[in-house]
Amino acid sequence: MDDAEMQLTFPMPTNRTTIANKPMPSTDRNMTTRPVWDLFIRSFHWLLVTAITIGAVTGFILGPTWLRMHLIAGTIAVVLVVARIIWGFSGGSFARFAGFVAGPRETLRHLAELRRASAPRHVGHNPAGGWMILFLLGMILLLAITGTTVLGGVFKTGPLGFAVSYDLGSAVNKVHKLLAWGLLGLIALHIAGAIYESLRTRENLPLTMITGRKQARPGDHLPPSRAAHPRSAALIMLAGGALGTAIGLALAQKPVPHLPITPLDPTYAQECGDCHIPFHPSLMSAQRWRMLMASLDSHFGEDASLDEETRKKLEDWMVAHAAETVDTKPAHVFAQANPENPISLTATPFWKTTHKAIPDKVFKSKPVFARTNCAACHKDAETGMFYPSNIEIPAEAQK
Amino acid sequence: MKLFPNLILSGTLLAVALGAPIQPAQADPARDAIIAQFKAQAGVSSFSAARGKKFFHAKHAGGKPETPSCTTCHTNDPRNFGKTRVGKVIDPMAVSRNPQRFTDPKKVAKWFRRNCKTVLGRECTAQEKGDILTYLSSI
Repeated sequence: MDDAEMQLTFPMPTNRTTIANKPMPSTDRNMTTRPVWDLFIRSFHWLLVTAITIGAVTGFILGPTWLRMHLIAGTIAVVLVVARIIWGFSGGSFARFAGFVAGPRETLRHLAELRRASAPRHVGHNPAGGWMILFLLGMILLLAITGTTVLGGVFKTGPLGFAVSYDLGSAVNKVHKLLAWGLLGLIALHIAGAIYESLRTRENLPLTMITGRKQARPGDHLPPSRAAHPRSAALIMLAGGALGTAIGLALAQKPVPHLPITPLDPTYAQECGDCHIPFHPSLMSAQRWRMLMASLDSHFGEDASLDEETRKKLEDWMVAHAAETVDTKPAHVFAQANPENPISLTATPFWKTTHKAIPDKVFKSKPVFARTNCAACHKDAETGMFYPSNIEIPAEAQK
Repeated sequence: MKLFPNLILSGTLLAVALGAPIQPAQADPARDAIIAQFKAQAGVSSFSAARGKKFFHAKHAGGKPETPSCTTCHTNDPRNFGKTRVGKVIDPMAVSRNPQRFTDPKKVAKWFRRNCKTVLGRECTAQEKGDILTYLSSI
């Protein structure tokens, strides 16, 4: 970052401001400008736009199979926001929170002046825009906190995997979605505000977030002059980043309770895996496994009977590791059985809802062959985890 | 390493590689014992590969409609890989392609019990089982 640029932000030499007294079409080539948005602010702004766009597209539109990309986008957004907060205490005049966060009285006065069309032109954030910045930063932090909670509780991974139950993670998921809509609303207001202020002050504000410079006009409302401390800021950001990464990784290493048993019992894997993928015992309750093992001579249209010794041994193992013993998403969502066919997974309401969009030809294709062949697309089916990022529909099946 | 031992090693490997396919896949005392037991149960002195072939390829009634024949899952050529009704690959049934076939009495009993019930709706007779094993050992 350029030190000189940031220390020059204010004040401008007075002998050059006279031009601003002229009536000014915004295209005036001789218009004096001053640096407002430093390189950090501009990079931060557009990188955050990119990260939030990816987060919103993967979260709202592309869905769970894009979870990994969603997490990357979210992580980048948090890193950016934290760095921005540090810069808010160490940057130059226009970057500092102290320069643009107005008290309630000043904010109300600004809004009233806007209504009377007598509001002054703020070169940095105006009081309403300043609050918007705080709301946006806060909202993104809340999204990160709730997102990490969902990741831990529902997907049993990440820094909070060891601490959050499925039920809590699942409830927080609803909050995360509401906050995401809230962020979209704030972004809409932010853009509307930028357009409004661009029209009101006859200056292309989105463009100034690229060039970093704004016109210098008489009567401009400027924040108190402050020097930027880019070196100390970078140091704090690096130290904070290293500390945050270390804490996150250390937490993510903590053992996660109530995970599905691994590996599968060899007899189970062989006896059940002869005809179909060996379904993980955590996918159904003990009661439903007992029902299934009591009717092996008529098992989904085939005789799958076993000698009693093997049958009992397998049933005991399945019951010992059934859905009740784990806290995974599959164990919870498949708990709601279809009363007409309680021992089927593909008949459950959750299975039907989540596979509705997949065309029939995919299931009939060679590499998949049947709806029960979970492992054709869920690469981790045998672990009982069914992590969304491990879904990969074979290319051959989509032709 | 010297050249001489290298030559010996290569020669041995070559001999093993050449010799391996010559060994008869069919002969296996465990399989012979299983077939001998079916002979005793059926009270016959020999089985017919031709009858086994006919039975293997025939469409049967009495079982589940989805599985009228052995070939439903094992395909028309037992030397091929088969597929269960949910897509799991089944190793070839022909002993020439899969020397492990019919050497474990418990496994043979389990699958005849299951599959005869599914395809025919009844257990197979010792005569039928012996014919099928003779057929699948012959190809």
